[in-house]
Amino acid sequence: MSLLEARGITKRFPGVVALDAVDLRFERGEVHCIVGENGAGKSTLVKVLTGIYRPDEGDLHFEGETPPAIGYVPQELNLFEHMTVAENMFLPLKNGTIYRRKALDAAAQPFLDDLKMTCAPGDMVRDISVAEKQLLQIARALASRRSDILILDEPTASLTATEIERLFAIVEDLQARGTAIVFITHRLDEVMRLHSVVSVLRNGCVVGNSDGEDVSEAWIVSKMTGKDMDLSTLYRPRTARGTRLFRVEGLCGPEFTDISFDLHAGEILGFAGLVGAGRSEVLQTLFGMRKPSSGQAWFDDEPWVFGTPGRAISKGVMYLSEERKAHGIFPHMSVRQNVGAGLLRDVARLGVVSNAREAAATSQIIEDYRVKTASSETKIMNLSGGNQQKVLIGRGLMANPRVMIFDEPTRGIDVNAKDEIYRLMQRVAEDQQIAVVLISSEIEELLKCSNRVLSLYDGRINAEIAAEDLSEERLLASIINTGGAIHAPATTKEKAHV
Amino acid sequence: MSDGLVNMKQRRGLNLQGGGQIVGVLIAFVVICVVAAIVAPEFLSSYNMTIISRDLAFIGIVAIAQGMLLLLGDIDVSIGAIAGLSGIVCTKLLVDAQLDPSLAIAAGLAVGAIAGAVNGTIITMFNLNSLVVTIGMLSVYSGLNLWITKGRTIVGLPKEVTVLGGGSLMGIPVPVYIMIGAFAVILFLTTKTVYGRRLYAVGNSREAAKIIGIHEQRVRITAYAVAGSLAGLAGMLLCFRLVSAQASMGQSWLLPSIAAPVIGGIATTGGIGTIWGALLGAAIIAVLGNVIVLGGVDVYLQQVVTGAIVVIAVALDAITRKMGRG
Repeated sequence: MSLLEARGITKRFPGVVALDAVDLRFERGEVHCIVGENGAGKSTLVKVLTGIYRPDEGDLHFEGETPPAIGYVPQELNLFEHMTVAENMFLPLKNGTIYRRKALDAAAQPFLDDLKMTCAPGDMVRDISVAEKQLLQIARALASRRSDILILDEPTASLTATEIERLFAIVEDLQARGTAIVFITHRLDEVMRLHSVVSVLRNGCVVGNSDGEDVSEAWIVSKMTGKDMDLSTLYRPRTARGTRLFRVEGLCGPEFTDISFDLHAGEILGFAGLVGAGRSEVLQTLFGMRKPSSGQAWFDDEPWVFGTPGRAISKGVMYLSEERKAHGIFPHMSVRQNVGAGLLRDVARLGVVSNAREAAATSQIIEDYRVKTASSETKIMNLSGGNQQKVLIGRGLMANPRVMIFDEPTRGIDVNAKDEIYRLMQRVAEDQQIAVVLISSEIEELLKCSNRVLSLYDGRINAEIAAEDLSEERLLASIINTGGAIHAPATTKEKAHV
Repeated sequence: MSDGLVNMKQRRGLNLQGGGQIVGVLIAFVVICVVAAIVAPEFLSSYNMTIISRDLAFIGIVAIAQGMLLLLGDIDVSIGAIAGLSGIVCTKLLVDAQLDPSLAIAAGLAVGAIAGAVNGTIITMFNLNSLVVTIGMLSVYSGLNLWITKGRTIVGLPKEVTVLGGGSLMGIPVPVYIMIGAFAVILFLTTKTVYGRRLYAVGNSREAAKIIGIHEQRVRITAYAVAGSLAGLAGMLLCFRLVSAQASMGQSWLLPSIAAPVIGGIATTGGIGTIWGALLGAAIIAVLGNVIVLGGVDVYLQQVVTGAIVVIAVALDAITRKMGRG
């Protein structure tokens, strides 16, 4: 009997099967690495294991009378910024006890020493570095209670090489003491270093599981990619690309370094990379939402001024945010008013908005892009995600842009609507010679739509892959930086922290 | 969510922002009036109507001003003090400097606009909480009012202006006409103009507004300036009606200025409601204030009752909103 065993776990969300009959076993003293692309089902699995989600089918089995205690260190930081390190470790304090700061600090110190953290228990969390915060989350999981199973969700994302080494030492120590470690990561070098068992998730299924004998990076990549991707329909623009619109040289910012690329009319240029690789930040900088620290760009062979979004829009550059709900729609306004807000120059005369003009533009968008809405007066928040996105895209295109930046345009959108959006991108690139930038975390999407893909890793361009060389293996390898990597992750991290 | 799925549960989807809810507020207003007329027959007398409409004129103007800011998700609690400042400056110019009335009124409007713009600039430039900043500015402007008047009442306003505050035209107080004029302008501004669309857009989502090139800072500072000049207008009218100016003027407007728009369905989080709501909310407050007096509620309890009504209205709004979502 294993410490914890998942049998036939299936979890469905509307329109998608997140986990499909997953069988996994977790044993004492094992480091169980779980790898998989974005959307492969890793986080859903964690949520099922920790009891946040109830599976639709399947059960969790455990040995003995009581279920194992599970400690979980989430990927994103969720700490109390304005409280001390020690308070963060021990909250919520025991009921009915008097808060004694000295005792709390003393209790915290051994955990900090274990992780070789330099901050003091009394330091405010807001004042410690991001790496220390990440370690603090781990210290908190260790301190809260003795966990039989410790789940670490991409714990090394913001750690330097030396900090990663410290973390590994802790992991190995826990392993030796009989804790089962679940280690979720994108980095294959970490898997190779730590694993006792590797499980590869793909589209919600466990496609590879090994006891560690036959594991190599090549084996993992081959399992991650598989052959079931439907690439029979491609949406890459088929017309020859046009003139160069953007030339970007050595662009640097807080999240990225030395980014250079060209963007041509009539092409779809994909931006690949892990979450946090700096893709959105690069294009938001070009669009004027962020300030670059150095670097230059030319638009139509004239120097590009890194100004405001308003300025970029006036030059014909549009940006569609990945945060559709927060940064895209105006939720309480009607579809018509959402359209009008982005086209005020076209629908207004002498500062007065013409409802008729606005309505005409809206009906055209509804018709052209087959938006499903009760009427143009419906509040946009009552539309489905795909239809909201079509309204926003339609509005952007109505302003006759020359460059359209789509940031994760199909996130949270169902399969049919996705195809429509791909077709749309292809159509505007072919017919209107618009330069399309597609930022995406989905490999399939990038393969289907891009003429060219720039792959970012740790804020740098890791590879530029032309259409004829585009393959899943090649793209994935560049995204997770394995096999023929341009630079080792550790060295860049160290540089970034100097 | 399935792509074809259009959520048909469109509460308040009848019209533009909050159009459906306005009907509810209107019904509430009518019910209150009917009840008032039954309980106190003198409610409908023309004398009483004059009193109510005059109250409404002042509350209405500040409610419209505050309503604009609430639509942005902003608030200015110094609006009463700004009203006082404009009234005092205008009165001073008329009495001490013997300035031409139209110039003095223009100066009063300008003072209000500048005071509002100062608030808006501080808030947007440093990205501060508008409530906290304007609490501070409330003290600044009230202090200025005391300093200018030295705590004394300024008297001696000329006839040409006092008629604007105390006079009547066809049996209706002049301030009512001015309030209706201000309402029409702001309604047009918020619903028909480019500026109005930007205002709603920023109120709905500052980030989404920025991405389509709306200069949110400029939109917000302008709204603070417009609200300030409206407050100034109300303040000057109050001076003209009282035939004097004193430092404490406008202090009692803070609660109704916020309560009226909220009762009328303008959400404090921004982007929801219309200026109609601010006017109707002000009308409800004016009538309730009157009913409390007619109903013989202890004078010292009146504040308790008005305050409680506001809290109940806000809670009711939150509850209906939640039900609409569920």
